[in-house]
Amino acid sequence: MESIALKATGINKYFHDPVTIPVLKNITLDVRKGEFVSIVGKSGCGKSTLLYVLSTMDTDYEGTLDINGVQATGKSLNALARIRNESIGFVFQFHYLLPDFTCLKNVMIPGLRLGKYSYKEVEARAYEKLKMFGVEDQALKRADKLSGGQQQRVAIARALINEPAIIMGDEPTGNLDSKNTGIVFDLFQKLAKDFGQTIITVTHDEDFARRSDRIIEMADGEIKSHGK
Amino acid sequence: MKINVNTEIALTYLSARKKQTAIAAAGVMFGISMFIFMQSLMKGTNDYFEKMSFNSTPHIRLYSENKVADTHMLNSYLKDSSVKILTNPKQLIQTLGINNPYGIIKEIIKYPRVANVTPQVTANVIYTSGSVQIDGNVAGVNIDQEDKMFDVQSNMIAGDLHDLNRVNNGLLIGKGVADKLSLHVGDNITVTSGTGSPTIMRVIGIFATTIKQIDETKSYANIVQAQNLLGKDRSYVTDIKINIDDYNNAPAVARDLETITGYKAEDWVQANEQLKAAFKIRAVILNSVIGVLLLVAGFGIYNILNMTIYEKIKEIAILKAQGFSGPAVTSIFLQQAIYIGVLGGIIGVIVGFLITLMVSRIYIGAGSLKYLPMSFYTPHYVEAIIFGILTTVAAGFFPARKASKVDPVTIIRG
Repeated sequence: MESIALKATGINKYFHDPVTIPVLKNITLDVRKGEFVSIVGKSGCGKSTLLYVLSTMDTDYEGTLDINGVQATGKSLNALARIRNESIGFVFQFHYLLPDFTCLKNVMIPGLRLGKYSYKEVEARAYEKLKMFGVEDQALKRADKLSGGQQQRVAIARALINEPAIIMGDEPTGNLDSKNTGIVFDLFQKLAKDFGQTIITVTHDEDFARRSDRIIEMADGEIKSHGK
Repeated sequence: MKINVNTEIALTYLSARKKQTAIAAAGVMFGISMFIFMQSLMKGTNDYFEKMSFNSTPHIRLYSENKVADTHMLNSYLKDSSVKILTNPKQLIQTLGINNPYGIIKEIIKYPRVANVTPQVTANVIYTSGSVQIDGNVAGVNIDQEDKMFDVQSNMIAGDLHDLNRVNNGLLIGKGVADKLSLHVGDNITVTSGTGSPTIMRVIGIFATTIKQIDETKSYANIVQAQNLLGKDRSYVTDIKINIDDYNNAPAVARDLETITGYKAEDWVQANEQLKAAFKIRAVILNSVIGVLLLVAGFGIYNILNMTIYEKIKEIAILKAQGFSGPAVTSIFLQQAIYIGVLGGIIGVIVGFLITLMVSRIYIGAGSLKYLPMSFYTPHYVEAIIFGILTTVAAGFFPARKASKVDPVTIIRG
């Protein structure tokens, strides 16, 4: 039996301002463990909205969402925060690093929050992650002193610190040149293949999408193709 | 290094904005140091006035009050078999002073809280020197006990008060009396009371309180001398002055002594109603000023945190995306407020102490008041810290709660 990392059933979502319009229409979706899935579609088709629903950050929807076999729908905000901390890593189009902290601290913060490992261990793990992306020599610089590509790599390292079951990316390579995009893609693939981590990304980059395991196509708030 | 991640973030935010942190802390510092300064000034002033009033007023004064005639004589004669009606009752003059004063003093000394007891004979007199006459009063006292209770020595500007025990017909006069009659130590003065014969006395010392009314009328004589002035015997005593261990208990002790002795016992609170009123008014003024100061400091913190949250709203969103819960975010921002409060509080306590110290060195030189009376009272410092922390927590709470309610989706998606 295949294990399911993420399961969404009958997701409906509406925007209410200024008038109520449906943005997600009856979306049902399974993602297996270790799968590398890209969600593609035109701007405004609801793919980012879907991602935020799947991420548990957006709770204003109908339907149910299971993460690692645990129902996330209806849980308290604090419980959801715990789920995100433990099981979901995020990579955004913009790096969103905390500029007042060093790169190392940025990577460490979610790990410290989880509190599973000691400070020293978290620090060692953070170094390891930075090394994976070749930015370990930037570790002690303040995050706002790095170049865009480096910042994004630090941000991805941060997403991985707690070894989450699912990594979600909202245009993770949207701001990167082709070289950096290549590095990020290879890493994502490695994480999925070698470490069994599930990757769900929303992307405009057709090349990136084509090389992933599965492409989910969306249009007008519906899934057009599950790409199986 | 065992430090909570929320604390670490809070501290990093504070140290990344040193200027803002410093300004907010300075606000708290001003609030707290002013709190301490004003409390010290008020307590110092109150203590001073209290002490001043105890320089002339005992904690409790026992005296025989004229009474309105009542029916108790008739009661003992007619018993309860009839209704007694007294028409047009008059004041009964109690010219004899206190009966058996030394017996009463012995009784009073037995009362546990009493610290000092001294008898006094008060005589209203006319001072005459040459052709000038002025009204006044002579307090016939045991000068050693009087000095122990009211620190007469500290008011002396000429002569030696102990001469009152040694010099026959010695008199210790107020500075006002001395000036008006142009008297110096060693001069003679004629003192006449309403009931005795004129007596020539010798000025053995001059005192000055800050109270003009006293300096221009009062003089001290030996108690026997005062009894002679009035033409009374040695058992004649008009007042018994009592000091107790804690003057705040005076009203209760006075009531007890009244019951024990049967004479009127007036406590210092009754005698100084206006002093109490002044204390209360000062307290109201002071507390409103302190309230405003702390409020302003609180608003400073509130503003700065609000601004920080506005600037950092994306970072808050990202922290939440990474699994920081609402309470964790609240803790990050509330901690910032608390650290600002603690920092400002510690500096404020030190600055408050220094200001108090500095002001206590300011020379005033009015009467016996040489320097501004400031008190160094530890509870003020504790109160200041407590109020400071309460203010900062209250000021930090609302921005922190706002931060905890940031919706990461709205912010990250823009």
